[in-house]
Amino acid sequence: MMKKILALALACAMSAGLLAGCGSENNATPSTDGPDGANGKTLTVSLSASPAKLDPIHYSGAYEGQIIQQVCDRLVEYNDDMSKFVPSLATSWTVSDDGVTYVFQIRQGVHFQNTKYAQGREMTAEDVAYSLNRSAQFSDNNRLSMLDKAEVTGDWEVTCTLKSANASFMTALTDTGNSIVAKEEVEGWGDNFGYNLSGTGAFYLDKFELDEQAIMSANAEYWLGKPALEKLVFKFITDPNQAANALQTGAIDMATQLSGEAINTVEKAGNGIELVKVEDLKINYIRFNSQKGPTADVRVRQALAEAVDFEAVRSALYQYDEVKAGYLPLPYGSWGYDASLESLAPKYDVEHAKKLLAEAGYANGFDLTINVSNTEERKTLATMLQGYWMALGINAQVAVNEWGTFSDTVCSGNSDVYAMSWSWYPDPYFFLNKLFASNETTAIGNGAGYVSDYVDEMLTQAFSVTDIEERAEYYRKAMEQAMKDYTGVYYANPYGMYGINDRVVDFKPRADGMLIFVTSEDGETISRNVSVAD
Amino acid sequence: MLKTALKRIVQCIPTLFIVVMFTFILTRIIPGSPAATILGPQASAADIAAMEVKLGLDQPKLQQFVDYIGNILQGDFGPSYMYNQPVLDLIAERIPSTLQITVVALIIALIVGVGVGMFSALHQYSAFDYVFMILALVGVSMPIFWLGLMLVNLFSVQLGWLPNLGRGSFDISFWDGISHMILPCICLATIPMATFARITRSSMLEVIHSDSIKALRARGISERNIIFKHALKNALPPIVTVLGLQIANCFTGAILTESIFSWPGMGTLIVNAITNRDYMLIQGVVLFFALVFVIVNLLVDLAYMVINPRVSYEGGGSN
Repeated sequence: MMKKILALALACAMSAGLLAGCGSENNATPSTDGPDGANGKTLTVSLSASPAKLDPIHYSGAYEGQIIQQVCDRLVEYNDDMSKFVPSLATSWTVSDDGVTYVFQIRQGVHFQNTKYAQGREMTAEDVAYSLNRSAQFSDNNRLSMLDKAEVTGDWEVTCTLKSANASFMTALTDTGNSIVAKEEVEGWGDNFGYNLSGTGAFYLDKFELDEQAIMSANAEYWLGKPALEKLVFKFITDPNQAANALQTGAIDMATQLSGEAINTVEKAGNGIELVKVEDLKINYIRFNSQKGPTADVRVRQALAEAVDFEAVRSALYQYDEVKAGYLPLPYGSWGYDASLESLAPKYDVEHAKKLLAEAGYANGFDLTINVSNTEERKTLATMLQGYWMALGINAQVAVNEWGTFSDTVCSGNSDVYAMSWSWYPDPYFFLNKLFASNETTAIGNGAGYVSDYVDEMLTQAFSVTDIEERAEYYRKAMEQAMKDYTGVYYANPYGMYGINDRVVDFKPRADGMLIFVTSEDGETISRNVSVAD
Repeated sequence: MLKTALKRIVQCIPTLFIVVMFTFILTRIIPGSPAATILGPQASAADIAAMEVKLGLDQPKLQQFVDYIGNILQGDFGPSYMYNQPVLDLIAERIPSTLQITVVALIIALIVGVGVGMFSALHQYSAFDYVFMILALVGVSMPIFWLGLMLVNLFSVQLGWLPNLGRGSFDISFWDGISHMILPCICLATIPMATFARITRSSMLEVIHSDSIKALRARGISERNIIFKHALKNALPPIVTVLGLQIANCFTGAILTESIFSWPGMGTLIVNAITNRDYMLIQGVVLFFALVFVIVNLLVDLAYMVINPRVSYEGGGSN
């Protein structure tokens, strides 16, 4: 009997131990209030993927950038509609005529957060030079590869010398990977810096629980002014339907990157929950292998493009109005977008397609493989393409793989046709160079292996001048050629879909999907300070 | 018995080695480089190559395997590529979280399942028996993912009684911790519960119709004593076998349950590890799961010896 009692007691003790949990406090920062969600000034937002690496030089996913964005600042930022650069930690800047040297005046009176090593000290020009050089040398994704060196050239002045003229430098500076951090924090935490991230930003990272949540609290000393929110919580919810449910139950105030049925759920939710959408800087497309197999022939590519009714494809794939019809390999939000090129997009004409195939010597069709990643949207798209191409006598196999395998197949140039999406900055460089430059053929951007000397030349020219109109013209020419070569079909521009409770005041979704809660249009005063109504 | 236990433990070593080897081979066979996956679509070929060197993936596969085995023997399971933390730390951090729902789910499943099974056996062909067994059949056949979403829809969205995701915290309040556990635990308990109910019923039926039980009845021993002291004890071995399997199933079931409820445990960890081609983490977590299976099997074998001393693993001898 005693044995049984002892066993029972042990079992109870173990269960209690398990229930006590193992949440870890990562950062010794002042907490402004009680438990999570206990006050009305807490905003809880869902992120659709789980961030892992928050050290700016190691981050790779946009969802990781979302947290870095809140905790750190950069020299410059994009304004809300992403039409211009706004001063942030730099108050002004000049560019040399050759486009190689950039001189930044650094803002005075900005303090790092009051964390373990930096302890709220003032940010200096040395910190800026240190952070930029660190990124240039060690960034996993080479987010500042164009920078040769950043040097302190005055008390509050930093001079950046580029390896060669590179018009995308300013855009690169807005990347959260190029955030300004304190050297002693980086060195003090070593490999754990990411888990204890700090900077000069509007929010402290109080707690970062892997696969669960990031809890942030307002930085009362923030240089632009105090954030209206006291607490900001990012919950990592990978299933959009669960995010929509959480929005309905009040567990979160805002759901990001909604898709499929979750959009419908949010739209019909009522109770002050609204579906908000914004044109994303994103394109959905299919690409044809330009180097190997029958698709290496431009006539075959044109035939494949013309045999598909993309209007019907769009209405079948996107039942919740989550995309805008697309035509160019650039999103509408990019300053390089040129509507006059829309007429070059392929038109549905099966008879013409058949004729083209016959001319190319494939009157009886051929075998090909369509590679897609494992999402419902892509799988349906592939099945539809298979059906359309059957009319040309083409026997298309659909290969569905999860991302790692898909990416490997595309990068190695082994995919006949693949479908994916691309999203980045409004500067066309981040689309056109990645999708069409001949030196990108082993990367996923140009895994189709498109090579054109003319396009390469236009892209290089666009890269080395700083005048935006001149650049836009080079990009227009590059795009025109890539479209005439039927590199692919750029059929949709997705919207960013958000579910937002109307308690959230002053939030504005941006085309790049970044969530920004304290913004400035002039770099001096707050233009938008998101809050939560009681 | 100690000798047998030691022998069984030693037998586990080759099993674990084979698991390590197969996991290593399988992770390397699937196309897709961890470097490309970690860096995302925007990475250039040069970035990917540099990352491969950094992760040691440029080394010959055999060399990587030999290094990995050498490191494991020294207790070093390597760093997770994705989380940039030692694999062992990540696993240790997640075990309590997964145990929290699996242990509770198993206890619920065991108590309810065995209870229902016994009740059904004792009231064979009654209305209760039919209802319970139909429910058990439904329970065994129900996909966890669907069940989870239905539970969320009813209890979180429609009724607003329970939170739909996250782990909650006992630091905030006892209810916060408990309320977050209820739906994942029900979801995870359903299949084992139904399995226990069915196996208990059939095992009990076999026992209570046996001659030994009839003999006990003939001796005038009370029905209560017959059921709990004799019949249940004799009906236990199949239940223990199933318990062993269900413990292991609960861990694998946790992979789905955790994904549905954004529960930060071993399941979420391995799903992320596989998606991100985090070789070290996949190998570490699979080895952990294998270890759980092996230990549970060992415990089941040892439990047999306790429940039924006639069972012998000494190799063919009979007592």
